[in-house]
Amino acid sequence: MATTDQEVNELIKREYEHGFVTEIEVDTFEPGLNEDVVTRLSEIKKEPEFMLEWRLKAYRRWLEMEEPEWAHVGYPKIDYNAISYYSAPKRKEDMPQSLDDVDPELLKTYEKLGIPLHERAKLAGVAVDAVFDSVSVATTFKEPLAKAGVIFCSISEAMRDHPELVKKYLGTVVPHTDNYFAGLNSAVFSDGTFVYVPKGVRCPMELSTYFRINAANTGQFERTLIIADEGSYVSYLEGCTAPMRDENQLHAAVVELVALDDAQIKYSTVQNWYPGDENGKGGIYNFVTKRAACIGKNSKVSWTQVETGSAVTWKYPSCILRGDNSVGEFYSVALTHNHQQADTGTKMIHLGKNTSSTIISKGISAGKSSNAYRGLVKFGPRAEGARNFTQCDSLLIGDRCGAHTFPYIESLNKSAIVEHEATTSKVSDEQMFLCRQRGIDPERAVSMIVNGFCKEVFKELPMEFAVEAGKLLEVSLEGSVG
Amino acid sequence: MKPAPTLLPTAFLHPAGQALPEPLLALRKQRGAALVDMPLPTRKTENWKYSSKHLKLTDEMAISLPIDGKAGSALAVPGYKVVFINGVMIPEASEYPDLNNILIQRFGDLSDAEASELAGQLDSTLDKNTVQLAGLNSARFEDGLVIRLKAGAVLDQPLFIIHEITAGASGSAFPRIFVDAGTNSQITLVEEYISSGQDAVMVNTVTEFNLAEGANVTSIRLCMDGENVQHVGATGVRQQRSSRFESHCVGFGGPLRRHDLQVSLEGEGAECKLNGVVVTQGTQHYDNHTNIEHVAAHCDSEETYRNIATDKSHAVFNGRIHIHQDAQKSNANMNNNNLLLSTGAEIDTKPELEIYADDVKCAHGATIGQLDEESLFYLVSRGIGRREANVLLTMAFINELVAQIPLEVVRDTVQVRLNHFFDQSFQGI
Repeated sequence: MATTDQEVNELIKREYEHGFVTEIEVDTFEPGLNEDVVTRLSEIKKEPEFMLEWRLKAYRRWLEMEEPEWAHVGYPKIDYNAISYYSAPKRKEDMPQSLDDVDPELLKTYEKLGIPLHERAKLAGVAVDAVFDSVSVATTFKEPLAKAGVIFCSISEAMRDHPELVKKYLGTVVPHTDNYFAGLNSAVFSDGTFVYVPKGVRCPMELSTYFRINAANTGQFERTLIIADEGSYVSYLEGCTAPMRDENQLHAAVVELVALDDAQIKYSTVQNWYPGDENGKGGIYNFVTKRAACIGKNSKVSWTQVETGSAVTWKYPSCILRGDNSVGEFYSVALTHNHQQADTGTKMIHLGKNTSSTIISKGISAGKSSNAYRGLVKFGPRAEGARNFTQCDSLLIGDRCGAHTFPYIESLNKSAIVEHEATTSKVSDEQMFLCRQRGIDPERAVSMIVNGFCKEVFKELPMEFAVEAGKLLEVSLEGSVG
Repeated sequence: MKPAPTLLPTAFLHPAGQALPEPLLALRKQRGAALVDMPLPTRKTENWKYSSKHLKLTDEMAISLPIDGKAGSALAVPGYKVVFINGVMIPEASEYPDLNNILIQRFGDLSDAEASELAGQLDSTLDKNTVQLAGLNSARFEDGLVIRLKAGAVLDQPLFIIHEITAGASGSAFPRIFVDAGTNSQITLVEEYISSGQDAVMVNTVTEFNLAEGANVTSIRLCMDGENVQHVGATGVRQQRSSRFESHCVGFGGPLRRHDLQVSLEGEGAECKLNGVVVTQGTQHYDNHTNIEHVAAHCDSEETYRNIATDKSHAVFNGRIHIHQDAQKSNANMNNNNLLLSTGAEIDTKPELEIYADDVKCAHGATIGQLDEESLFYLVSRGIGRREANVLLTMAFINELVAQIPLEVVRDTVQVRLNHFFDQSFQGI
């Protein structure tokens, strides 16, 4: 046991791999939030008039809202006036026209992250729309996408080039009145991704965005809007990292997905924001609203998330299953270590007939962390024949961590069926014994067992991400067995 | 701007009945002072999310129901019996033994020393933050029963406590029970809530069990109040080493039925088993909240609740298991199954786990569904009428729990009520 403890201590001390700061010139607003900041932000982004109005409306409403306190997390009160609401890498010319125009420092950042924009994008056939702090820096693979008719650009561009689409869908899934952080995001979001897949088009490649918070004292407020028109298919990947800093940084994003008739959206996230050090100092507050509206018949939305980072996570990717026969899926692995806190889960709102949903949630808590699943499954009175299956399993590693389950199940329809099950256990002594008996060291044994525990979710991830997720888990977990 | 919260009507803070020993009057006063300006629960109050709209407290209801000395329906019970009418005990209608090692006393008969011991124990089993309205009972009780079992004492027959409401006008009743089960003692307690009358009444009950080492308590709770009664009740249980608590709650719906059951496993090897059955029809509402605190290591809890909702009725279940940091080797199992038999009815369930220890086995499951078409077909194809087939399968769904009630007379009472329920609910089939 002694050796294990030692290994544990060493490994626990392993520092955050992505915790470097890129020193580039940054255009940053003075900290503070008022109508003037919102207006300036909108001006800088050369947004159409309707967007400014929309933002101001959201801001005024936000002022009246209260920060939610129901989540099973604790953090010091955030001073929203100490945050800078805009931070963009300073560009020598205007927007970079191609990768060559991108600041080499930036590209180095991505290389360190393991996503060299050129190579990886080409090799993996992934078009990466990397969001560095708040402005979309470079977008690759636009041409083949354009050929297929797919619009994949930053949301600021979309507002200029496709205002009719933005106007029609922005805020329809997550209205600015939805919750405190969504309200804040609506007022000050700086950039994000916009995807539109036209009728009957199967997006020829996996779309991908990498988010990274760089500057100190900034919040990252990106906004993603994905619209899958009738009969289309798109798979979208999102990865997140942030540098190591002592202060906490706020990330309040909003993601809206719209699936029309027979459309299918697959949204995968690997979130590895800086979780803070072993004493719980620093780290990202990840307060994200993600929601999908399956408004069309036979539409399908699938959320897959691997959450290993952030000091505090508050995130509930949800599906509103309005169209008849629509399908919602949620596959999640949430891992917390040291002093991390996660309150995450999903909402499946069944409104249409024969809608079905599946929830598979795997929570792993280690160290002194707290990991909660919070979910809602609701069947409306019209949801004839609706079906849900939920499984939430928790794995505890160490006796100072917590694992919690708060599932809300509400049914108003007599033909709807819901099944929910949850278990909590630890890595059993028998499993460990079996592995060690066969000469596998405890670190590897735990990693194997945990990987097995998460397999159901990992198999839902696209290949490249599944590999990355497995590695991430290994790094985050190593050293937690004792 | 948030609208100002609705406060507890001040009329509710004026207790009647001064025939209590001084320490209990003092306790009542102190608890009442804490309730001044208490906001009533709203939809935003997590514990009352689904039930707050059914809670209707009017000034008329604040008045204590008059004490009616006549025992109502004479219930033949195979054991000892204590009758409460409108929250006040009726000694003439009660029959219980006078034993050396088992003291059964009404609050009014306690000496000052006994009353001050009791005052120190009341409310000790309930978490005041989660059972807000139970506090009202402590501020208003006019009478109550304390049962003290000394070490090794065994009550040879079950004790039935009949709580009857005979309302000729609107009002409230606040019956109170405290059971102190000494080392290795045993008791079976049946609480039956019934009512007559048409006027809007609130019954606010608190029953507490304090189990010393090795004590064995079985509690059966039948909530069968009428359509005029809003019933808000709480049961608190504290268990020491190797004690065992078994609870069977059977509830029939009403305008508001709310029961909070809180069990705290504080000594190693303690175990509890909580069973519950709820049926609702019409526009009835029933809300069961249970909370099991695994404070000590090596404790077991097993919980099964089943609800049936028909017509436009609404059944709620909220079960929480909280495993404390030192409660290693805990074993906790919670199951909630629901039958939703008509569109328009609603079932809400929330089985929660909150776990801070790693070497534990915890599981919960919840389902909402309806009768299996294939089973129905199987029965119908063998010549059983559709209605009978429905009744049979519905009965089978809850009989697993009803059959576990250890007293035949209670099972029979429940069966009669269930038959009545089936008659009304499966009429159209």
